[in-house]
Amino acid sequence: MTPLYKFVTGNQMVAEGAVHAGCRFFAGYPITPASGIYKTMIELLPRRGDIAISAPDEISALAYCVGASMRGYKSMTATSGPGWALMIETFQYALMTETPVVIAMVQRLGPSTGGATQGAQGDIFLTEFATSGGYTVPILCPSTPKECFELTTLAFAWAEKLRTPVILLSDKEVGMTSERIDLSALTPAETIERNQALGESAAGWKTYGFEKREDVPEFMPVGGAKKITITGSAHNKQGELKKNDKETLEVLLHLEEKITARKDELSVVSADLQDGAATLLVSYGITARTMRETVRTARRKGKKVSAMSIQSLFPMPERAIREAYAGVKRIVVAEENLHGQYRMLLSSFIKDREVVGVNKIGTMITPAEIEVAIV
Amino acid sequence: MPFCKGCGHTHILRRLNDALVSLQLKPSDIALVTDIGCIGLADKLFESLHTVHTTHGRSTAFATGIQIADAVLAGSALKTIVLIGDGGAMIGLQHLVNAALLNVDVTVLLCNNFLFGMTGGQNSAFSPRDFITPTTPDGNIIPPIDMCRIVEAAGAEFSVRALATQKGLSELIARAIMHPGFSLVEIVELCTEHATERNDLAGNKLAQVLESQGQQLGDIVLRTTKRAFGTIYAEKNPRREDRTTLTDKSVTPKFQSTLTRQVGIVLAGSAGERVQSSAKKLCDAAIASGLFCTQKNDNPVTQGSGFSLSEVILSNEEIFYTAIDVPDVAVVVSAEGLTEVGEKGLLVRMTPSSTLLLDASLPLPETAALVEQYPFRKEFGGDKAALSAVKSFVRKMDILPEEAF
Repeated sequence: MTPLYKFVTGNQMVAEGAVHAGCRFFAGYPITPASGIYKTMIELLPRRGDIAISAPDEISALAYCVGASMRGYKSMTATSGPGWALMIETFQYALMTETPVVIAMVQRLGPSTGGATQGAQGDIFLTEFATSGGYTVPILCPSTPKECFELTTLAFAWAEKLRTPVILLSDKEVGMTSERIDLSALTPAETIERNQALGESAAGWKTYGFEKREDVPEFMPVGGAKKITITGSAHNKQGELKKNDKETLEVLLHLEEKITARKDELSVVSADLQDGAATLLVSYGITARTMRETVRTARRKGKKVSAMSIQSLFPMPERAIREAYAGVKRIVVAEENLHGQYRMLLSSFIKDREVVGVNKIGTMITPAEIEVAIV
Repeated sequence: MPFCKGCGHTHILRRLNDALVSLQLKPSDIALVTDIGCIGLADKLFESLHTVHTTHGRSTAFATGIQIADAVLAGSALKTIVLIGDGGAMIGLQHLVNAALLNVDVTVLLCNNFLFGMTGGQNSAFSPRDFITPTTPDGNIIPPIDMCRIVEAAGAEFSVRALATQKGLSELIARAIMHPGFSLVEIVELCTEHATERNDLAGNKLAQVLESQGQQLGDIVLRTTKRAFGTIYAEKNPRREDRTTLTDKSVTPKFQSTLTRQVGIVLAGSAGERVQSSAKKLCDAAIASGLFCTQKNDNPVTQGSGFSLSEVILSNEEIFYTAIDVPDVAVVVSAEGLTEVGEKGLLVRMTPSSTLLLDASLPLPETAALVEQYPFRKEFGGDKAALSAVKSFVRKMDILPEEAF
């Protein structure tokens, strides 16, 4: 195919991916390094008659998106650490009310306002463990503008299919660096429309109805033909606020199981395995690119090494990781944060291998810093 | 009714029901968005309406999202009504103000009983002075907020204060719902569980209490001169089948590059002197010549002052690592740019095989790089120095055809 090059940032491609996936509502609030998504959505949506608006704060931005999604429209907002801190209440509400929404979280250096123009990968815990109860939050993590596009389309597909908020966890370096991409090589995820209750299935429809715990309830918009009953409080399948009765606990378990039961289906990784390698490098986001450079350099020197980039951070692609490390002695997890947040989580199920971290804050991890960890 | 005996919520919800009945709206065309607190128990009383029970104070924000989406994307099918207490109204003040500013077609019924009933009767921002609650045992000393005036100041055209027991409340609510824009009805009422025991209060004294706090009953503002946000937005942004913007400005390479390795180029100068746009031109030329390319920009947070810097990587193979730790080429055209690359430690890391193109006006820095000085600023002026330096670099390196640039 004839290449079709464009010079774009990751942030621009998140916006393009959202539009491709059918996003029709965006509410934004300025924050470096996520503002590029906001700006691009303002360029793309109104000219199509869709909505991109400025919210007065991040709480409102996500609440507007959740409201629009309840009305039946695919919605997205974008932010960074400080804004995410404000969104967590509404994020939990979206999770509890099974409202699809995509949040692009472009990480920067923390804590607090930290470094607005400095990259970081320090918000793995802050995003994944943002719910009371520790529910599994689907998180996709791009490392290139191409992946920004593709994983945003996938984030929408998951959000709609699973009726859940999905986080696209980018970072400053991925979001704000311009790069040549080949448009002819983009492979977006299949566009998924909400499974709406129609015809006969609408007869016994309940706002949160399901048979098996992992089933996803059929959606009905606020304003649709059936009365809907939405609440962020513990509720039965009808959506009625309840204390700990059996059905209400079932609903709470269902919220988790609809995600974890699809763990393998939701797994997205790129493995680059080499026979005879004793080390498996594992990384994600911006550092996954650095890791690819390490692999290229090391192999040119004649070293053997395997590598895996993880695009679906959560639910953790456990099976794919186990398959990848089968032949190695050591697993090296490279990530731009203090203690190795993702490594800690990997270590919780990898008991039969040495798992070491390459960690750093303030500037990007270099290829050489990863290379020294190869055995 | 799930409320205590004599609770004002009972009155208000009956009048809301009367209003909805009188308007003869289809139940499926109404979204009732409720806040946290006793008033949030209203959901289950309206069996045929869509009900959305939200988080504390955020009800108006969720309603705003529902309403904007409805008005612009669904042709204004819905009436959106918020039920919020005085506690919720204060924690969610921003959302009321913004709904009023936007003039979204949302009706907020603010049920003000001066306190947090569900959590034990604590004082709220709406408690009158001298009001006694478990958290103001000696009497409240903070004056109450006047929400009707606040939304008025934010441009609301329908802001009315009423009593829960007053005649004509259902008609007033009906008018608020039909008002084509944001409307607030603050309905003052009694919490019989927490307010009356500790304070000398009864339903017939509420008007007096309000008067003593300088809060006016009745119409604060009532007019219709503005159109709702959704109407204006939809008119300004009609639906168009304008599908793809992604391929705008995309290129298929027309030129050939002779580059056989990866080069990292740092371009440094001052804000407003087209440093980053010159770097972008270099990238565009490289892409038109089939090269891989990345560009990172940096500047102080003020953006319009101080240094301006771009890091460009050109390569004949895919670029994985996008940072430049040791530049192959540094192009420095101003004193601020020189300070910045110096502070980043880039110049001292450069090797004898790398090149520093330095404006002739600048002092020689400490570096192992081969330094070449040119009078870019003198010959082309500050605002064209960066671009001319990039052009000269391209000519010198001979990696891109000049026509590509």
